[in-house]
Amino acid sequence: MTRLDSPRLVQYGALAASALLAGLVLGRVELVALAAPFAIACVVGAALARDPQVTGTLGLARERALEDENVAATIELASAPGADRVDVLLPLPEELRAPEGNPSAVRLAADRSHAVTVPVRCDRWGSFVLGPVLVRARDRLGFHAWETSVGAPQPLRVYPRVETLLTMLAPLETQVYVGNQVSRTRGDGIEFADLREWDPGDRVRSINWRASARRGALWVNQQHPERNADVVLFLDTFVDVRSGARGTLDSTVRAATSLAHRYLQRKDRVGVVSFGGFLTWLLPASGTRQLYRIVDSLLQMDVVLSFAAKGIDVLPPRTLPPKALVLAITPLLDARSAAALLDLRARGFDLVVIEVSPVPFVQPATDELSQLAYRLWRLSRESLRLRYEQAGVPVVEWEDGEALEVVLEEVTAFRRYARPVRA
Amino acid sequence: MGVVAYASSREPTLAPVVATLGAFGAVLLLFVLVRGDADLLGWPLCVGAIAYVLSLLVHGSGIDEAAPLVAAALLLCGELASWSLDERTHIPAARGLVASRAAALAALVGAGLGAGALVVALAAAPLGRGLAWTIAGAAAAVAAVALAGRLSRS
Repeated sequence: MTRLDSPRLVQYGALAASALLAGLVLGRVELVALAAPFAIACVVGAALARDPQVTGTLGLARERALEDENVAATIELASAPGADRVDVLLPLPEELRAPEGNPSAVRLAADRSHAVTVPVRCDRWGSFVLGPVLVRARDRLGFHAWETSVGAPQPLRVYPRVETLLTMLAPLETQVYVGNQVSRTRGDGIEFADLREWDPGDRVRSINWRASARRGALWVNQQHPERNADVVLFLDTFVDVRSGARGTLDSTVRAATSLAHRYLQRKDRVGVVSFGGFLTWLLPASGTRQLYRIVDSLLQMDVVLSFAAKGIDVLPPRTLPPKALVLAITPLLDARSAAALLDLRARGFDLVVIEVSPVPFVQPATDELSQLAYRLWRLSRESLRLRYEQAGVPVVEWEDGEALEVVLEEVTAFRRYARPVRA
Repeated sequence: MGVVAYASSREPTLAPVVATLGAFGAVLLLFVLVRGDADLLGWPLCVGAIAYVLSLLVHGSGIDEAAPLVAAALLLCGELASWSLDERTHIPAARGLVASRAAALAALVGAGLGAGALVVALAAAPLGRGLAWTIAGAAAAVAAVALAGRLSRS
């Protein structure tokens, strides 16, 4: 432990020595009496200088938590000779906070451990490492302090809250595996699709007897099969526009988590592409394990500044399977991601752009030039949006605080009236 | 302030000087507390002690029986100021920690008061003079220094 001595020990010593010397020179016993308490304080201070040898461990009640949940951090402290006062501080990142009990001061009895419990509130998602704990032991009068850090660092993953989504975007084309998505093709399924004349080989149970009786020939029912879909969440991580605790990257991660969770519930395969200064991807897969993989990768997501020119050519081919629904979540601020999305559309992908609006996070200055720049910036965004719409890509603006479901409903409405064609 | 008031009342002719010194010491103490600089804590105590010593020198050669009280008051002032600086960052403490420090502080000041009173009492006692007393005093001083050194090493 690192020992720190209070400066007043030296000051008291100097005061006592000066008074004693003055008492000798002036021949006044009162000065000796004046020096006596300070000399005694120095002696007591020297007697109290015993290293308390504080040791400790740090433990978390859980390694995973949701936003707005509390996780108890328990700090076990022990001291062989005992410590009169031990200040304990668990350093926390700004996304986490302790409503109470951090820092705190306790007394440690000799050879007995003492547990300090700190409730940690998770304000924002992220992957964090808590610890080590900073400990400062002091003697009873505060003449000496010993500082050290105890406890091994503990990982804590805070997952973003999942928004309830009742309706989801249906892809234009489905895959060949069984799922919950009603395919536009015809085959064996539940949903009625059409009638056609009977052909040799058709099963008897598919004959529609009512239609056959009316038309005087055998007619059979056709159904839409239930298939799964491939969904790729294309996240633009070139830029993050922030205002306080909120930002576009924050909204992007929340939306991606909610969408991944819901699509995986429907037995679809979901993949993630983080397209930014640091390129990461997860190949489409289904199941709970994939959900955890996705959320864990989202927790690591951060904006990395890069000036490298990047297109979708840098992506491995399997990250964007054919007929996949590509949901791009982007603030539409970086020209590289805007161009990459148009490139995706040109290659025939079923693309939907959810624009995480940076406008609420930008406060323009009041002078005329800044206002002009702000209006030009808004116009350029409108122009970019128009380019996407001309390419048949639905673009919906998602503002901070708005429900994601409303945005998805807008896309559904767009696709209902403006069906994109294969490029 | 008590020390300054006592020193002023003891020697009224010196009251303006003592009061000025006392005010300066108080301002210095306030500065130390506001700034949170424990390195300067000795200076207000020093100024208070100087104010007392001035009144002591001007007053005459008689022994002032209140000297232990003055010394204890100065020590108490220094300790309370230091405690205040320690508590600048509020840390919720377990029950009994504050009482424990207060008790230790009271014991320290009490011991200081007792030691000062012993010194004054011994000085006032008609014990005589001579080589034996001088040797005894020197031995006591050496023993005190040795004890302090031993304690600081352990």
